[in-house]
Amino acid sequence: MVVEIEPSKIETAFLLESLEKGIRVDGRGIYDYRTLQISCGPTHGLVEVQLGQTRILARVSCEVTRPFLDRPTEGIVQFNAELSSMAAPGFDSGGKSSPQEVAIARMLERVIRQSRAIDTEALCIIAGEKVWGVRIDIHFLDHGGNLVDAASIAAIAALKHFRRPDVTIDGEVAVIHDVKERNPVPLSIHHTPICVTFGFFGPGGLAVVDTNLLEEQTQVSSFTITLNSHREICALNKAGGIPLEPKQIQRCIQIALAKVDEINEKIQDALNAN
Amino acid sequence: MTRPDRREATQIRALHCALGQLSRVDGSAQFSLGDTSVLCGVYGPVDVKIYDEKIDRAHIEVKFRPDIGVPTTKDKWTESAVRQTFEQLILAQLHPRTLVQINIQVRQADGAVDAAAINAATMALVDAAIPLHSMVAAATCAVLESGEIVVDPNQEEADQARSIHTLAFENKTTEGPAYVDSRGDFTMDEYNRCYDLCATSAERVLAFMRSAIESKISKEAKLSTT
Repeated sequence: MVVEIEPSKIETAFLLESLEKGIRVDGRGIYDYRTLQISCGPTHGLVEVQLGQTRILARVSCEVTRPFLDRPTEGIVQFNAELSSMAAPGFDSGGKSSPQEVAIARMLERVIRQSRAIDTEALCIIAGEKVWGVRIDIHFLDHGGNLVDAASIAAIAALKHFRRPDVTIDGEVAVIHDVKERNPVPLSIHHTPICVTFGFFGPGGLAVVDTNLLEEQTQVSSFTITLNSHREICALNKAGGIPLEPKQIQRCIQIALAKVDEINEKIQDALNAN
Repeated sequence: MTRPDRREATQIRALHCALGQLSRVDGSAQFSLGDTSVLCGVYGPVDVKIYDEKIDRAHIEVKFRPDIGVPTTKDKWTESAVRQTFEQLILAQLHPRTLVQINIQVRQADGAVDAAAINAATMALVDAAIPLHSMVAAATCAVLESGEIVVDPNQEEADQARSIHTLAFENKTTEGPAYVDSRGDFTMDEYNRCYDLCATSAERVLAFMRSAIESKISKEAKLSTT
């Protein structure tokens, strides 16, 4: 069985000592993200995000299905984010997933699916009969820390990049046009929630943005803020760890607002370049 | 007849390979055949679960993940076919009581996915420096409705094909292929023609693999001298 190796005491001591002086092990500032690369295509809805060493592949696809009986006019959004052992040893080691794996997958589902980012009513073809089922697959390729932020960026970029076949309705008959016949259409997206994760260190709760792997293994608490481009909070997640003051949380939100603007700009640039 | 992407019938799509892109695995490779792209990460030799432990050789595990959805029965079949192929190729007796784990992730599927997966796995194993008996390269042929045979079909051609054949060959001149997978209706003559075409294509793929490894090693050598 392949297992994750804990960082050594020397490494963590060095990291904490440096952080007290305001220096991070990879030379970044406390509130700096690692280099973010977003590459789209060649097919619609395929996006690979690289955040430092962390790599995520997001794939959006669609098919025609029957709607749920209680929601006849709404399309279905399926979400799949299982961690694979390619990302890190110890993930998906057969049998049950670790609490960390479940936490990451649930967090992403909350952010993308339950924040109602996708307009599901726009996915209806014939009420009660046929709707579009949109599927979002997140593949974790490499775990270099902060999977949640990278995955949320990948998912949003993939949803924006995706195009579904056009449909015309004539009375009772719906015609789905082949992508070669008619230009495919983008999904209708209400808002773009992006996660910004803070890691806290030491008894004082010193906060840093975008933890790398070593930092993630050393942190005493983490706090994820999900914001959209309208500067609204979509989700907050702080599960356990050291207690934080309300002031610290407000400060984190202020920083996250600036970060989300930067990230949204980068996503837009990547989509325009394609 | 012209093919959808205007290739010759015996022409394979553009090959691309990148080695060692992943940080956590021991070796990795991304292998692309045109728009089909597969990523493979290998751990090994590492600790093995007690019930998988073999006292005289390494246990070999393959995990195959499709680009869309969760692994299906067909994916599980590919997984076991790839495992059986590499069980013959990895010198497992050199690392008893360990595990070699091959993780295959399809990035994009546009025909000949199994061939790309085998090629990616070979390259990742080489990158992870796992001792191999020999390298292996795979190629795919499709017999169309018209009876014409095309090499390395894309998804559009594969959907219209009467039968599809994927064969893998070792780089040594051994008797017969290391992996065969034929689906659909075909005659013995068609199979023999596909066999020859796959063998020629696999040779080309092997030459490409060799040059990809050479260029990686020469780059590393340059880095270490400067």
